[in-house]
Amino acid sequence: MLALATRNEDELLKETRAITENATIPSGISSIAIPPYSDPKEFLAQYNKPDSAVSIKFNRGTTTLAFKYQGGVIVAVDSRATGGAYIASQTVKKVIEINPYLLGTMAGGAADCQFWERVLSKHCRIYELRNKERISVAGASKILANMVYSYKNMGLSMGTMIAGWDKRGPGLYYVGDDGTRVTNNIFSVGSGSTYAYGVLDSEYKWDLNDTEAYELGRRAIYHATHRDAMSGGMVRIYHMKSTGWVKISEEDVTDLYYRYKAQEAVAAQ
Amino acid sequence: MSIMSYNGGTVVAMAGKECVAIASDKRFGIQYSTVSMDYPKVFEMGPHLFLGLAGLATDVQTVSQRLKFRLNLYELQENRHIKPKTFSSMVSNLLYERRFGPYFIEPIIAGLDPKTHEPFISVMDLIGQPCISTDFAVIGTANEQLYGMCETLWQPNLEPNDLFETISQALMNAFDRDAYSGWGAVVYIIEKDKVTVKELKTRMD
Amino acid sequence: MSERYGFSLTTFSPSGKLVQIEYALNAVAAGAPSVGIKATNGVVLATEKKQKSTLNDDRSISKIEPITSNVGMVYSGMGPDYRLLVKYARKLGQQYIQMYDDSIPTVQLVRRVADVMQEYTQSGGVRPFGVSLLIAGWDVDENVPYLYQCDPSGAYFAWKATAIGKNHINGKTFLEKRYSEKLELEDAIHTAILTLKESFEGQMNEENIEIGVCNKDGFRKLTPSEVKDYLATI
Repeated sequence: MLALATRNEDELLKETRAITENATIPSGISSIAIPPYSDPKEFLAQYNKPDSAVSIKFNRGTTTLAFKYQGGVIVAVDSRATGGAYIASQTVKKVIEINPYLLGTMAGGAADCQFWERVLSKHCRIYELRNKERISVAGASKILANMVYSYKNMGLSMGTMIAGWDKRGPGLYYVGDDGTRVTNNIFSVGSGSTYAYGVLDSEYKWDLNDTEAYELGRRAIYHATHRDAMSGGMVRIYHMKSTGWVKISEEDVTDLYYRYKAQEAVAAQ
Repeated sequence: MSIMSYNGGTVVAMAGKECVAIASDKRFGIQYSTVSMDYPKVFEMGPHLFLGLAGLATDVQTVSQRLKFRLNLYELQENRHIKPKTFSSMVSNLLYERRFGPYFIEPIIAGLDPKTHEPFISVMDLIGQPCISTDFAVIGTANEQLYGMCETLWQPNLEPNDLFETISQALMNAFDRDAYSGWGAVVYIIEKDKVTVKELKTRMD
Repeated sequence: MSERYGFSLTTFSPSGKLVQIEYALNAVAAGAPSVGIKATNGVVLATEKKQKSTLNDDRSISKIEPITSNVGMVYSGMGPDYRLLVKYARKLGQQYIQMYDDSIPTVQLVRRVADVMQEYTQSGGVRPFGVSLLIAGWDVDENVPYLYQCDPSGAYFAWKATAIGKNHINGKTFLEKRYSEKLELEDAIHTAILTLKESFEGQMNEENIEIGVCNKDGFRKLTPSEVKDYLATI
């Protein structure tokens, strides 16, 4: 096609070799095919324009959040998958259980998040076997960041949060598809993140007790699903403790809506 | 991004036995963002006549108001209630007047003939190509889902209560697969001697 | 200076009259008589069509005209003015069908034609129409016949039966005596012919009168041979 037909064979070989030498190829699979065109991001982007005859729609709409507090890390996510305006699923699992002490969240391309976090899981296990101790959250998130960095500008789409517990206590990192890696007390990622931040920022305190923290995560996701068309389905909540993660709840947003409405009615009286 | 789905929303109408039903969702959004959840898209144009408009919200308002204006003039001049078929033609002409700069809406007209009480449903594209339907009509961002629901749920000669159940299930299950529709729904059941309005309890995400 | 207010523009006289309109009515009253009668199951229009010369080709003159499938019209007064009104009326009828996908109710057509006639009393550079119209229609929705008269002023009236043009006073008096609420179309046609006959000079035949009928099947003109048959029964 386009580039292949016009490009010289040697040139292509030189270029692909340069990319593969720098890339972290996950072992277990032979290799990830290097795109046969010079600028993958731009090449793929043409199929993402709405007026393109061929259209590839990625799952982008999401609300995910995580925050550290006195009792550990809360991870809360919605469960909607959309292709354009079409709701493809309301029961997607957007929390990826990397290992008992690490959780990853999924925003952006579902396949990208799932694949690279599975690769991360493998690296973490190897680390444990080699060093007879668990990897730090900082370390794990850095492996992921390095892996995606080597594929920078090839069209990876992911906005993920890595939450865990290590020697330093609760850990929380954001890793983006451009190789960004940052740590903070509060993160929210996805199309509904602004709504979630709104709730999170106004109610968040370090000293929250566990129930308050669960409710804050729940409300933040719930409000995001209410206002953001691309988020919805269920609210899933995980709690990262010193003993590893625990799944706290999975509730349908509709149940939450009518429960909160009833509570408001009672409060108004 | 089509201008027709900028605000989202969907409308469906169904014919029953000596009755018709028309229903819409209540979302008003700006692309992904849901701004209001109290924005029905069905307008009462007479005792047995209802108009549903889906598309760009600003045009939904303009078209409904301009049609009400023309309808009021018609009914004052002719001193009688308009027939759904006549109203349908009026809508079609209003839309075609903007052939080269159309309103970004699609209308559904549902009603009973004021004299014979015969059910009437018609649907149009944005420049007024009318299509009179004997079963159901769908428009809006969830129209594909609605076609599927209506094709499977609708059957001829439904009594008012069954028609209500059918149209409600069709609408709700359709917009639960559409990100741009939902957030409440309103259903009108139009019978010879009464019109019943019902609000549906729906998903709010 | 007896004609002080005879400007081409329709202007009020100090006493509040529009003399131009009165002149127009004079033109109507001088025109050939026309009759309209509403029956239970239809309407009949009839008019006198006398030629100035025996050399005229009868077929070239048609005074009763169909407007839409269920409305027809006749006039007394000035023929050329009538032709323009027929053109307007037909156009208005078609515009209504285009807009509403429905045949125009008689009263709607009458009102729209009357609006045109009124406009000619208030516009600059024009004169009022020198005709009065009789408009017969069948209302498809209500399933009833209608008969209207439309004057140069733009005024219009619904009638059970009426006469316009020359001798209209006598014609109306005759109709008042002969009219019955239970009249059927066939009888109405006879009465219409008889009314014309009241003031008819010379021998009436199928060449010098015209008849149009309107019923649930729509409006149509009677053919000369049909007219001949009716005349034979009188």
